[in-house]
Amino acid sequence: MSELGARVGSLTTRARTALVIGVGAVGLLVAGLVAPASAAGTLVDIVLREATLSSALRLSVPITLAALGGILSEKAGVINIGLEGLLIIAAFAAIYVADLTGGVWTGFLGGVLAATVLAALFGVVVIEFRADQIIAGLAVWLIALGLAPFASQVIYGGPNSPSVTTPGSLTTPVLSELPVAGALFDASPTVYLMFLAVGVTWYLLNRTRFGRWVQASGERPEALDTAGISVSRVRYGAIVLSGVLSGMGGAALSLDLGQFTGTGPTMVNGKGFIAIVAYLFGNYNPIGAFLATLLFGGLDAIQTALQLQNVGIPNPLIRVIPFVTVIVVLALVGRTRIPAAAGDQYESGEK
Amino acid sequence: MSARERFRALLTRLAGASAAERVLISGASLGLAMLVGTVLILLAGRTTTCTPASATYYLGVGFCYDPVVVYDRLFLGALGDPLSAGWSPRNTQFGVTLRETTVLIFTGLSVAVAFRAGIFNIGTQGQLVVGGLLTALGVFAASRVVPTSLEAVLLIPLGLVLGALGGGIYGTIPGLLKAYADANEVITTIMLNFVATGVALYLVSDVFKDPGSQANQTRSIPELATFQPVVFDSAADFSVVALLLGLLTVLGCYVLIERTAFGYDLRTSGLQPDAAEYGGVNARRTIVTSMALSGALGGIAGAVYVLMVLGKFQTGLPAYGFDGITVSILAGNNPLGIAFAALLFGILKSGTIVVQFATDIPPQLVGVLRGLIILFVAMPEFFRLVGRRLSPGNPREGVGAARTPDVAGRESAGGDSTDE
Repeated sequence: MSELGARVGSLTTRARTALVIGVGAVGLLVAGLVAPASAAGTLVDIVLREATLSSALRLSVPITLAALGGILSEKAGVINIGLEGLLIIAAFAAIYVADLTGGVWTGFLGGVLAATVLAALFGVVVIEFRADQIIAGLAVWLIALGLAPFASQVIYGGPNSPSVTTPGSLTTPVLSELPVAGALFDASPTVYLMFLAVGVTWYLLNRTRFGRWVQASGERPEALDTAGISVSRVRYGAIVLSGVLSGMGGAALSLDLGQFTGTGPTMVNGKGFIAIVAYLFGNYNPIGAFLATLLFGGLDAIQTALQLQNVGIPNPLIRVIPFVTVIVVLALVGRTRIPAAAGDQYESGEK
Repeated sequence: MSARERFRALLTRLAGASAAERVLISGASLGLAMLVGTVLILLAGRTTTCTPASATYYLGVGFCYDPVVVYDRLFLGALGDPLSAGWSPRNTQFGVTLRETTVLIFTGLSVAVAFRAGIFNIGTQGQLVVGGLLTALGVFAASRVVPTSLEAVLLIPLGLVLGALGGGIYGTIPGLLKAYADANEVITTIMLNFVATGVALYLVSDVFKDPGSQANQTRSIPELATFQPVVFDSAADFSVVALLLGLLTVLGCYVLIERTAFGYDLRTSGLQPDAAEYGGVNARRTIVTSMALSGALGGIAGAVYVLMVLGKFQTGLPAYGFDGITVSILAGNNPLGIAFAALLFGILKSGTIVVQFATDIPPQLVGVLRGLIILFVAMPEFFRLVGRRLSPGNPREGVGAARTPDVAGRESAGGDSTDE
């Protein structure tokens, strides 16, 4: 027993956090199965529902894709705190283009394009004009937060857009009949796109030359420079890719629902910031970030289900759960080893 | 001149230049943001539809929104049309402008105090909500025991203290998380904004709801416990007393940051965290105290809004906290500059209302302008580049100018704290 204690003690905080979450989940599961009538029972009932998994997957799509973008950008040495803004602009542009052309996937491309342009602009501002990355990122968020509802108001006469057709869902026969896991085989195409993006990003970062450049650009930019590779160009590449990925996330978010909602913090509602926490928790690993997102997405799905269940906790408080979880996770994970040169300008000696 | 003397001379020159340069950059940023805004207004005016008669024509092309009218209403409208006959500075709309200015002074100071310590407090909005709610509830509860004759004397100070306390405690949470758990304050404060809004909604719609109202709001505090409108008429919901309080707080923050030992610790932690710690500054304590102070200022903003404008707490408060970020960045995080930046933003906010009456342009335009201003202020290098292009100075000056961003940029960015 003491040996086990020692082993747990030697784990990293991240692993310990994951362990605590895992043990807590198992404990809850047992409690719920033993006493189905209790609050834990209700919770387990919700968790084990197929609908919960499928909505957790759906909710994970924008967060995962934005997190992948954030990983690429930060690994290259540029902290992209404006992911939220990229999601917002893509969410609106996707609906607008889809509404204009009548094609869901043209809309999707429109969203990706809008976020990529905004990300490229952010790149110019932080690389060319050496703006502070955090302030410029905040500006990206605030600009999108104003611009999307503004455009919606101009075009549709209100902060919310009319409905457009959704991409629907791809269903695999037989497999989709499986209990619970069937949700994996009866989901929106954007869910499969997310899985694909996780794999591709992991491959790109760990198995390609560009990935090595990205890592070097964030850790030892001077070494990359010495090797004759332009740090600026690698960083531009990474930022543009973060725009593409976040654009996919934002477009998926609005198209899956078939509408853009622009009131208050818009339909994105903090998902870009949650994405940042997700990749910090996932230690800059695309797969880790996806798992962390699934945790947040799951919580979000559970809180939505809880709101309908009437468990005695008022809905405004239930809605706060994911945000509180993010804070707790961030506090537990704490010191993340961020790329050495992230946040710094890099000036090539040859300039 | 020895190398050392030359270095010192360069430093003094840069320090002198950087204050004037800041003002220049802020002004240029505003101008540039308005320029982009003009393009946006024209583009939006092409996208939307209107009758040919109501459109404005530039170079033969019709636009549904006229940028000249929009900016005219935005700026002159906010001042109550100073160019028209019979203008008095005591007009209601100017009162509204000063009301907005007053709240923005507090949120701007809140952001600035944290910024100077190297902390990005994006959570002023949440601190404002918590402070305002506590003020409304506390003053209402106290008004039942305090005799009517003493209400004004006792309840207003009580409300301000409660606001400061609520905001201060709520600001201390991300401070502690940053100092002791190394949790990035940008994320925690943004999350705490969502939490504050959610919890306030619950409390106001469920627990402390005014039974006599459909809206989600608390019961009204007595009229005497609110800031009385002096000088301006009551329609503006503005009290000069609150503005004076704001200006006093500006001075107080200036003295605190620039002239005291605590301010010195705070500034060095912001500029050079490692050097500050080496020099004996307790980094953790500085983080927590500056966040508590920053939160308290945000809480007072909420208290002032409740005591001066609402007379109760309502859900869906305006985004003064986010505007505070812009105000602070525009002022170069300097307390004295905040008074001016707050007035400018007070004009923008009050002018938005006038614009809404006069034109069909969506009010979110000001939100876009806010983001653009931050973006442009964040890139001083852009203006230096343009400046160098325009004036073919000698190469030495070029070198000097190129070195400035490190100093100026660092000051506005609050150092490397975000590397965590």
